[in-house]
Amino acid sequence: MLLLALGCYLLATSTLVSHIITTNDLMRRIAHALLSAAFLIHGLHLGERALTLGYDAIATFPDELSCIAFIMVGLYLSLAWRGNLTVVGGLVTPLAFLFTLSSYVFAVGPPELSPRLQSVWLPAHVAPAFLGYAVFAVAFCMSLIYLLQENQLKAKRKGNLFRRLPSLETLDNLNFRFVTWGFALFTIGIISGALLALKIWGALWSWEPVEVLSAVTWMLYAGLLHARTIGWRGRKAATLTILGFVAVILSFLGVNLVFPGKHGGTFG
Amino acid sequence: MQGEILIIGVNHRAAPVEVREQVAFNGSLEHSLRNLLSVPSIEEGVILSTCNRVEVVAIAEDGDNAVDSLTDFLAQGEQLPRRQLVEHLSVYRGREAVRHLFRVAASLDSMVVGEPQILGQLKDSYQAATSVGTAGTILHRCFHKSFSVAKRIRTETAVAGGAVSVSSAAVELACKIFDRLEDKNAMLVGAGEMGELAARHLVAQGIGSILVTNRTFDRAVELARDLGGTPVPFEELRRYLQMADVVIGATAAEEYIITSSVVQETLRQRKFRPMFFIDLSVPRNLDPAINDLDNVYLYDVDDLGGVAEDNRSERSREAEKAESIIEEEVDTFWKWLVNLEAVPTIVALRDKVETIRKGELEKTLNSLRDASPETRAAIEAMTAAIANKILHSPITHLKHHDRQEAAFYAAAARKLFDIEEPEDS
Repeated sequence: MLLLALGCYLLATSTLVSHIITTNDLMRRIAHALLSAAFLIHGLHLGERALTLGYDAIATFPDELSCIAFIMVGLYLSLAWRGNLTVVGGLVTPLAFLFTLSSYVFAVGPPELSPRLQSVWLPAHVAPAFLGYAVFAVAFCMSLIYLLQENQLKAKRKGNLFRRLPSLETLDNLNFRFVTWGFALFTIGIISGALLALKIWGALWSWEPVEVLSAVTWMLYAGLLHARTIGWRGRKAATLTILGFVAVILSFLGVNLVFPGKHGGTFG
Repeated sequence: MQGEILIIGVNHRAAPVEVREQVAFNGSLEHSLRNLLSVPSIEEGVILSTCNRVEVVAIAEDGDNAVDSLTDFLAQGEQLPRRQLVEHLSVYRGREAVRHLFRVAASLDSMVVGEPQILGQLKDSYQAATSVGTAGTILHRCFHKSFSVAKRIRTETAVAGGAVSVSSAAVELACKIFDRLEDKNAMLVGAGEMGELAARHLVAQGIGSILVTNRTFDRAVELARDLGGTPVPFEELRRYLQMADVVIGATAAEEYIITSSVVQETLRQRKFRPMFFIDLSVPRNLDPAINDLDNVYLYDVDDLGGVAEDNRSERSREAEKAESIIEEEVDTFWKWLVNLEAVPTIVALRDKVETIRKGELEKTLNSLRDASPETRAAIEAMTAAIANKILHSPITHLKHHDRQEAAFYAAAARKLFDIEEPEDS
């Protein structure tokens, strides 16, 4: 089933790119139909896993990637009716494809989750964290488009994509909204994570690599939101959003591949 | 052969405005259309009269004669000597005429390629002809096709995309910076002509409000009233600047009226909400260093001209795509037209052969009384197959894509098979 979703993601990416190049409206509609189909199939796949595996379904790194890709696509589809954001979709869709693909390639059997973790606290920690990451990912895509558009306007050179790009204000407003929501979700994820840690390890904070990196990420986004209140909008905000997401990716890779700690594998 | 399509008239490519204005149909179009049908050999007609072209689209029984008589028709009643008109006359016949009509509808033949008005004008002309009843089967089909071709080109190419004048380029850019203009304020500094034009564009695009300032306050008041805006004393410019999202500089001043440091201060007051500065004056009124500030975009006349120029060249690139769509559609239409002409002959030919076949079949079957139903069916099928095989090749030729050829074959077929001339339909 996941392969079918992957196929649809790939087709949606190529039709969306061809829409962006040719501005053919039929292509846009086909791309969005394909993407919706992929989203549905992906959702069925995740639902099936959750039913058969229970809490184990969200315990590994590939599961996390798959969930995040799914949420990203959902977020984009909920914006797609605005019509002028296809260029954002042109980044979100391939990114979701890559995430889903790596979740498929690196899939591991369900881990032996420690029975102590088998509680509602696990989804309570994981769900907001995944949502937050996905929201940050979409905000990251918007920021890239913002910088592209801003550079063209400043340099007074219209690139080939110029006509397809949404206005700076649209992108900046969406960026603000997304980062705010992402930050709120991420914060909830950290708090519920700390409570979960208290329950199973007996301490709110144990200097786990993921804890440290998440704290750094959290501070970056907090800084970004604060900076907005003193007028750091536009290009600066976009740059910080990109930095924030780089921190997310680093903590992601760091935790799962470089120094796994308790989060990365056994959760012992 | 049915009537020939032809378009004859003057357009901006070949005729100067002095000629076009003399040919223009100024009076009642209905009246002129009725007159058109009384021109010898004209069967159907539509008159297109705009400031860039005056053209008659007609179906004529005899093309060569029609060109002559339509030239007289165009020169009629005007002081323009026929000789002078002929010099500037454009004549399109047959396929060329269909292509020309499609190109006009798609705005590929316009002065500014892609401008949208021409399609509406074409529709009006066709409407007028329909209500008077001067458009027949061929022109109905031809015009409807031209409208759908125009639509197809509009959606499949960017031939109408992008602003091609300085002030519309400014509006286009404003829409790339701001989500919507309804909740934005503009400020016009200097009440000259260029500034007024740009301001009018912004107002037409729905800008929320507009402040007008000018060294002579009275002029500011006057223009503000005209634009539905608010006049602001020139000395108060700095104080009001923070309210403006879009600033148009268009004074005759020799120095910078708004400097980078003023904008920096303004931005702080505005909490760094973006600003768009448009400098339409030469020498420039707005400090070029303004563009280096964050969240601020400054375009001067040359920058805007560059944007408009880019759009123009993009339009001509897209026009090439459009031309190939035109070719494709002309082909389709032409096939329909040739078929339409061939149909009576083909039907008559089929009827003739079928009558012979039926007659002979009956005779044979009557003499074969003992034959089983299977044998009868086999004979029936065989005769039908022979008839179809023999007709296949003549019918293919009758549908020849070249109208002249097709007409030649039709005449030959009628003669060879002794078919009567079809009734004029």
